[in-house]
Amino acid sequence: MSELIISALPTLLQGLGITLLLSVAAIIGSTLLGLLAAVLRTSGLPVAKQIAVLYTELFRGTPVLITLMFIYFGIAYFGYEINLFAAGILGLSIYQGAYIAEVFRAGIEAVPKGQWEVSWILGLSKRQTFMNVVLPQTRGIVLPPLVGQYLSLIKDTSIVSMIGMSELMHQGQAIVDRIGQPVVIYGLVSLLYFAVCFPLSRWVQHHQTRSQLS
Amino acid sequence: MSYQWLTLWRYADTFLSAAWLTLQVTLIAFALAVALGLISALAKSSPLALVRWVSHCYVEFIRNTPVLLQIFIIFFGLPSLGITMSAFTAGVLALGINVGAYLSETFRAGIQSVPKGQLEAAWVLGIPRRQVFMSVVLPQAARAVWPAIINNLIQLLLGTSLLSAIALPELTGTATVINARTLLYIQTFSIVTVVYLLFSNVFSWLGNVAGRRMFHPALVTSKKRTIGWCPKKWLSNSVKGGNS
Repeated sequence: MSELIISALPTLLQGLGITLLLSVAAIIGSTLLGLLAAVLRTSGLPVAKQIAVLYTELFRGTPVLITLMFIYFGIAYFGYEINLFAAGILGLSIYQGAYIAEVFRAGIEAVPKGQWEVSWILGLSKRQTFMNVVLPQTRGIVLPPLVGQYLSLIKDTSIVSMIGMSELMHQGQAIVDRIGQPVVIYGLVSLLYFAVCFPLSRWVQHHQTRSQLS
Repeated sequence: MSYQWLTLWRYADTFLSAAWLTLQVTLIAFALAVALGLISALAKSSPLALVRWVSHCYVEFIRNTPVLLQIFIIFFGLPSLGITMSAFTAGVLALGINVGAYLSETFRAGIQSVPKGQLEAAWVLGIPRRQVFMSVVLPQAARAVWPAIINNLIQLLLGTSLLSAIALPELTGTATVINARTLLYIQTFSIVTVVYLLFSNVFSWLGNVAGRRMFHPALVTSKKRTIGWCPKKWLSNSVKGGNS
């Protein structure tokens, strides 16, 4: 068994590298998208707000697998080609962005409205108010659930294997297809995912209880 | 354009039975998840260290690995240990175990939200422990975390799409089969998306209705899961509420 593990480990670690790369790219994409959607939703601009609501409700009510397939096969359907890696980043960013938008919205709405008015009286522009007054205050409320969403994003990267991306999950499957031993290989794969996710989830738990106590 | 939809109309029965299968898996797995979650939440406050440890390991392992991997371990891994099961059973088991771990944390948060003084008061009144749990703690705990429970149900519904990986003909699996036959990707995925949206919105609507009727005082959730073009007065609701 140890021989099996030693021979499988390099391939799995390579897969883990791709998983991490995909995760980081999608974390950046989904955070930007989520922040944009949250700003539009709380902005009060009639059409922009409606679009943001439609976006969050649409993706929070459909599976991530459908989103990924829609992007990957849908773009091919219209005769364009999209790189698998790009489709994965795009799909995960759009999907998690919808959840992250709700996280940011809760944070923005927790800041009292009076502060907007005070900033206006002090002569700050809307942009300045948002960037320098509102956003810094949301940190404590937003950060724990935000990292929680990153955690589920990292786990969701395994679903990109279903459209053929060779990340950690897919590499594990490939090894099982070749030499069998599903229990050992999938056990190893879960340990690798666990090693990445566990520290993050501990961090989230710690900070959640702290913010609840205060 | 219209002939494409006519082509798909031939598959109406297939879509319907797929939707029914998705619903079945969701509900059976959720029943399992509630049972597992409740047992695991109670086990965490057990006097036996071993019981607490097992529950802790269960929750941490499940919550920190992808659900797709858990499905694969149950469907492809267990047969090599001599346990074989159908895709349906494996799917229900995997999703039930997965969501059970999340529910365990939800239930525990709910139980902890009940003030300790009430337990002491119940003890002073001489009410048996079992009855205290069933009629004092549980109703209040359920009310405190009701929206989170409904969210877990919706996450389970969305998770059933992954069972297409073990060839269960639920909505997503059926969509890929019909795609392979008709090549109408956009149309097929649109139909399936609408069905998922319908299910998840119906679940959350039922959850809100049940929350208002079942608990005392009635639970009014500020968070609405409605699609973009809903009346304006619903939208202002979510701004006023400031969900935490």
